[in-house]
Amino acid sequence: MSNHAVSTNSTWAGGKSPFKVSYGKLMMWFFLLSDAFTFSSLLVGYGAVRFSFPSVDETEMAALREELPFNTDVHEMFHHHEGGFVGAMQEKGLFAETHWPAPELVFNHFPGTHGHLPLMFVSLMTFILIMSSVTMVLAVEAGQRMDKKKVQTFMLWTIVGGLLFLGCQAWEWTKFIGEGAKLYTNPFGPVTFAALFFLVTGFHGFHVLSGVVINIIIYINVLRGTYEKRGHYEMVEKTGLYWHFVDLVWVFVFTFFYLI
Amino acid sequence: MAHQNTPVDIHDEENYDPTVWVPKAHSHGTKGLWKTFWILLFLTILDIILYFMMDPGMLRNVIFIVLGVVKAAFIVYSFMHLTFEQKGLKMSIVLPMIFVVYLIAFLLTEADYLNSLNW
Repeated sequence: MSNHAVSTNSTWAGGKSPFKVSYGKLMMWFFLLSDAFTFSSLLVGYGAVRFSFPSVDETEMAALREELPFNTDVHEMFHHHEGGFVGAMQEKGLFAETHWPAPELVFNHFPGTHGHLPLMFVSLMTFILIMSSVTMVLAVEAGQRMDKKKVQTFMLWTIVGGLLFLGCQAWEWTKFIGEGAKLYTNPFGPVTFAALFFLVTGFHGFHVLSGVVINIIIYINVLRGTYEKRGHYEMVEKTGLYWHFVDLVWVFVFTFFYLI
Repeated sequence: MAHQNTPVDIHDEENYDPTVWVPKAHSHGTKGLWKTFWILLFLTILDIILYFMMDPGMLRNVIFIVLGVVKAAFIVYSFMHLTFEQKGLKMSIVLPMIFVVYLIAFLLTEADYLNSLNW
């Protein structure tokens, strides 16, 4: 028997990291776990409100799809209609306070065209965010090899991707608000739909914004050689964790707001 | 800190200093990452296809949510490298998500009341 009461070789005896990660990375994981709970509450709450309303009548939706094929010029088609496209849908009862609207009719715009392109813009946004996740993880991988040049390149692309995504979201919000959706009014359907859309995509968008700011700070540090001097690029890994989490949340925002 | 001017071994297991200690980083290559990218892209396109091919309803919603969880798992395990972490860390991150399942079950039973509110 050893004289020592506590063996320093055991995992939880202190004197070493039990999970073999630095404290900073461990705390980033726990922060992300708590953030996952926040977003879960928002999205599960959205789901509960969503299913307290019936969907619009499917036979009418099917009839409308016949009438409104992919890439129809909606401006031209509803030019003479009072209230344009939104007014026409209200008249058909597809946008009503008592029914949850079909997302394909709400999110059918694309920059530079008047065509009816349901869910195409949000697909592009999703692609941009996935792509920026890939460039982020490539920066992390380059950091593990202490390849400063590659870290620089991929961090810059990640920042560009984040800014592109934010630009897309700003455009979509502008369009949605311009058509009359506000926190307390919603021509597309129940008021809670617009309110929760702004709340949840806004909360996610603010995460993207702070992610971009953090990425810029880390990028400047990479340029200045801070991590070269420190001997490791773990800061890139930690900011990468946050960035991937933002992408992960978008997966569910996309699922709940644009598909369900 | 005692070691102001002497270089510190940041990977030292014996003289563990939690303020600077980091495990040695090593790359796991980029092949798996690109594979994850293609899987995520495929699943997102599948989402859009199913949206237009399937009738709206609970079955389609459940498929969307399951696909979402699959995508999230790929992001966490591959992009966030959770697959390379210790089992204890994996469990402390993944297991608490059971609370979300509880929240869903809780709100499903409350949905009847929400229905009667007519906001």
